[in-house]
Amino acid sequence: MSLHRITLTINGVHERVDVPSNMTLLQMLREKLALTGTKNGCAAGECGACTVLWNGEAVNSCMVLAVECDGGEVVTVEGLAHDHQLDPIQQALLDAGGVQCGFCTPGVLISARALLDRNPRPAEAEIRDALVGNLCRCTGYQRIIEAVQAAAQADAPARA
Amino acid sequence: MSKTETRANGKMRPPVGQSVPRLDARDKVTGAAQFADDLQFGPGLLHARIARSPHPHALIKRIDVSRARALPGVKAVVTGEQTPGYIGLYLQDRHIFCRDRVRYVGDPVAGVAAVDEETAEKAIELIEVEYEPLPAVFDPVAGARPDAPLLHPDLGQYEVASFIFPRPGTNISNHFKIRRGDTEAAWGQCATIVERQYRVPHIQHVPIEPHVAVAKWDEQDRITLWASSQSPFAQRNLIAKALHLSQSQLQVIAPYVGGGFGSKAGVSMEALAVVIAGAVKGRPVKLRLTREEEFFTTFVRQGLVAHFKLGCDREGRLLAMENTYYWDAGAYTEYGVNMTRAGGYSGTGPYDVPNVKVDSLCVYTNHPVGGPMRGFGMPEMHSGLEQAIDDLAHAVGLDPVQFRRLNCIRGGDTVATGMTMHPTGLPECIDRAAEAINWGVKAPPSAPNKRRGKGLAIMWKAPAMPPNAGSSARVAFNEDGTVTVALGGQEIGQGAFTVRAQMAAAALGVPYDWVRVAGPIDTNYSPYEWQTVASRLTWSMGNAVKAAALDARRQVLEMVARAWKESPDDLDIVDGQVVSYKTEESRSLKDIVIYGLPNPDGDGWIGGPVLGRGNFMPTYVTGLDPETGQGPRAVVHYTTGAQAVEIEVDLETGKVEVLRGVSAFDVGRAINPDMVKAQMEGGLVQGISTALFEGLKLKDGRVQNPSFVDYRIATAADAPAHIESIIVEVPQDDGPWGARGIGEHSMVPTIPAIANALYDAVGIRLDAPPFTAEKVYLAMQAAGIAQ
Amino acid sequence: MVTPHPGLPEFDYVKPASLAEASRFLAEHAGEARPFSGGTDTFVRMRDGFWKDKYLVDVKHLDGLNTLTFDRAGGLTIGAAVNLNRLSAAPEVRAHYPVLAEAAHTVASYQLRSRATLAGNVCNASPAGDTVGACLVLEGELLVHGVDGARREPLTGFFRGPGKTALKPGDIVTALHFPVPPAGHAARYLKLGRNAIGDLAIVGVTALGYRDPQAPSGYRFRIALASVAPTPLRAAQAERLLAEKPLGEAVLREAAEAAMAAARPIDDVRGGAHYRRLMVRNLTRQALTDVWQRLAS
Repeated sequence: MSLHRITLTINGVHERVDVPSNMTLLQMLREKLALTGTKNGCAAGECGACTVLWNGEAVNSCMVLAVECDGGEVVTVEGLAHDHQLDPIQQALLDAGGVQCGFCTPGVLISARALLDRNPRPAEAEIRDALVGNLCRCTGYQRIIEAVQAAAQADAPARA
Repeated sequence: MSKTETRANGKMRPPVGQSVPRLDARDKVTGAAQFADDLQFGPGLLHARIARSPHPHALIKRIDVSRARALPGVKAVVTGEQTPGYIGLYLQDRHIFCRDRVRYVGDPVAGVAAVDEETAEKAIELIEVEYEPLPAVFDPVAGARPDAPLLHPDLGQYEVASFIFPRPGTNISNHFKIRRGDTEAAWGQCATIVERQYRVPHIQHVPIEPHVAVAKWDEQDRITLWASSQSPFAQRNLIAKALHLSQSQLQVIAPYVGGGFGSKAGVSMEALAVVIAGAVKGRPVKLRLTREEEFFTTFVRQGLVAHFKLGCDREGRLLAMENTYYWDAGAYTEYGVNMTRAGGYSGTGPYDVPNVKVDSLCVYTNHPVGGPMRGFGMPEMHSGLEQAIDDLAHAVGLDPVQFRRLNCIRGGDTVATGMTMHPTGLPECIDRAAEAINWGVKAPPSAPNKRRGKGLAIMWKAPAMPPNAGSSARVAFNEDGTVTVALGGQEIGQGAFTVRAQMAAAALGVPYDWVRVAGPIDTNYSPYEWQTVASRLTWSMGNAVKAAALDARRQVLEMVARAWKESPDDLDIVDGQVVSYKTEESRSLKDIVIYGLPNPDGDGWIGGPVLGRGNFMPTYVTGLDPETGQGPRAVVHYTTGAQAVEIEVDLETGKVEVLRGVSAFDVGRAINPDMVKAQMEGGLVQGISTALFEGLKLKDGRVQNPSFVDYRIATAADAPAHIESIIVEVPQDDGPWGARGIGEHSMVPTIPAIANALYDAVGIRLDAPPFTAEKVYLAMQAAGIAQ
Repeated sequence: MVTPHPGLPEFDYVKPASLAEASRFLAEHAGEARPFSGGTDTFVRMRDGFWKDKYLVDVKHLDGLNTLTFDRAGGLTIGAAVNLNRLSAAPEVRAHYPVLAEAAHTVASYQLRSRATLAGNVCNASPAGDTVGACLVLEGELLVHGVDGARREPLTGFFRGPGKTALKPGDIVTALHFPVPPAGHAARYLKLGRNAIGDLAIVGVTALGYRDPQAPSGYRFRIALASVAPTPLRAAQAERLLAEKPLGEAVLREAAEAAMAAARPIDDVRGGAHYRRLMVRNLTRQALTDVWQRLAS
């Protein structure tokens, strides 16, 4: 099985990694780069715990081959905060009490960030739709939805 | 008790009672929080995979692992030959790897350690096993019959807890009975009797984090087990016993758990990792379950076939209940026997009824292993019971909420086991839930093809555990006055660490953000905790932490009192300062909690490093008579509550939408009100998910839908638009500040609340959840109301 | 017992530089090489052990596969690598082929739609495919590059069975093309899943209608059914009815009954045949009503 040398930017950092063909982006992040914030919940593209931003789009990293990411940009949960300042969506989730076991949280944050980036003032139905691929078993989703609404408000002044 | 101790004990002292932010949440939103699969073990880490039985019931005639062993990259292959011992929590009925036979599809028969997961997987495929299929049992009623195939011929020889009553020579591994009053005579006095049969399918916990365990066994037979675990101490105990080792040889380290709901309690796959590690001494071995394996190879929630017979008088007063529960408990019931027991002693539901006959039978079947799942038998039991209660109410002409007000258990009543019920807020929960859902008022549907309905259900649950399940805790300081709380209970998302930090802060008198909880739990260093289950931690571990904090406080005050030549009764700790109410002197805790204070009378020092210790173990639970289930104190206490829902049913598709859900639970005292509400919200949605979507489809012992594609759980789009959570507080006499648990209870009454709403909306009842659109539609069609 | 692997099995990732090279490679390694774009079906099947290809050939970077173009004469051409999020957000699609955008948006989740493609959906040939109905009623055709060069494949007749299509070894779908739809048409995709959203289609109904003075009723409809036969189905009898009889609630109901009669669902782990048939009727009636109301207004 062939090995591929790829270069990509992860959370703003240039990385060069050797990856086998069958290694997923999720495996590369967790096993080659010790970026364990992104989680493995099903390896089948169903639960969303592995969601990352790839070239700006929210994807299930278990459904992307590492080799496909050559020359691309990836943002994981570890890359959401800047200079120790939490992203508004992270702060909003904390404030809303929307974290319990925390396993779905990284994926939820990325999906929410991607939503707000493309739709700064989402309606509640749009939030639910955007998060349908992030399964949570603990919170019942209510506070997660409230957090996205609050983050949308918090983002608003910055965009004015 | 001293004046100052009283001051600390009884009153709600901040941050107890405050909705402080979780102390683990920031790590979780930054991705810094470590779960078991995040731990790094270096290049020496090996990976394990398990060969599993494809048959529901079979003898193992021959295993040939030679081809697997020969595959390059494979370091070891183990089988049941390495695991002659039995393992189990309440009943030791299984081997870690199967030896002579397999009893469910997925039963482990061999394990491989290899340089990577894919090599281990290839090796599994090279293991040859010759099976001789045996007749299987797929139904608990059939399995309970004397002529059923016998799944555990050695049942009579298994070690078993004293409060479990197996029937050797049958598939019944526990039979719990209640005989109280005279039900036969009582039927004659009933104005109305309702008989119902109800089935509850198997479901699974579906923690978003699948099980993972890493084990290392060194040359001196010291074993380290890192696992996503709710029960590090129980895992240490059970695995050590099964392998004939001392508990001191096994160290279990448990980081944050990404959801457990009971699936990560007791021992399931963790023992497999340990045994495999024993074959590659010195190398750590990681075993991870795939999501597919997660659905059926650890624990599932057992199925239930329930018969209810309920009778009341003309006024609607319950006179008699005769309930029989057949638990489809699966291939091994080492844990499940206690669910049966709990379903038995709580088998009347939260009702005051004088004549009771309950038979709760734990039946072996060739199905996945039933284990503890949120509610521990209560959701299964209430699913049918609360519907039967509604039916009885309708039959006797009473509003279902009024029927419950009339008959619900109240403080001072005698419950079915003979125990006196402690003060409980159940009546208030009923009233407030009914009020919040606007009971009795039907809103118009949102479209002509829809119908609306409301339903309510109540519940009770006691922590189900051995009578002597204990907690212990330590409180220590750092030089800067910050506090480290050491405990053995796990943070599984419920907020255990946060609430315990609040309790320590309040009992000590320091700010909340001065308190750290020592984690990950490590059985070498953390104080003992029985298990993180049963909604027991707030109450039991809370008591231990509070005691430890008060012990530390006492040491500080005694030391400072000597230095200030005052009575400790006149001193207090407030906001991290020791204060004198007499002289108004004050000083910080900093340094003195480590270095003590100079002797005021000359040279020398007084005090020293403060170390508070505390433990809690209930001492008053009594046994129950094996024939009648009677005893003075069956359980420590009950948490009670009510849930009400408003639904809308689509007459054209059968889809049920939950528009509004209201929960009202009596938690004794809400230590962190916002987190209590978060439990209620999460439990409601998990309950809705089990009511509308979930079921393991078992066919000839095989789970047909072991994946998210075909085992649907509630998504963000399925959560109701309106959720309300109401906290009722009737303090628990021996709870810390009066608190008792809430973790499980909020998903117990949801299935019957929805079922009762469905009946209100369209007049139909289904014989089993999940109430899928298909089942609802076809039932409506049969009733002539579908569109 | 076949259970899914923890990760993907071993294979070689191949990234050809041109369509010709890609076709050649696929043909030379027929039976052990497969093209992929988003991978959402491919990776799942390989992990499940159903597909055991030695080579996965990445085609999404190849010429023309990433473009989406529309012109008022020629219609819409969607490159095979265009993902469903991009498709359902594209102004040209929303303006002129709204049912395609609607159907694409119902697929799975946002994350999967970032990878899934229309071409992939069509080539996967799942009878439950959400977007296939829209492709059929919009009379789409596939642009295929094979060892013999480029060709067009109409969608009617393309589906041979679950997972089976008219494609041959060496074939790569480069785009889907849709002619300009009838002026003033209205269309709807209705889907029944087990959850509120995000599920596969247990039943899917796509209905497209437009005014046609040549038709006795003054209207023509195209109806495609998903998840009720081994391949996506056109409800021909229902379509005929709607072209011939004057439209009204009764005729719409009759057409829905005809659609139900055309459906041949099976019992499977997701749903029963009897229920599916009834839902074909109900969803068809709803979709037709919705379309007709919009046409009439």
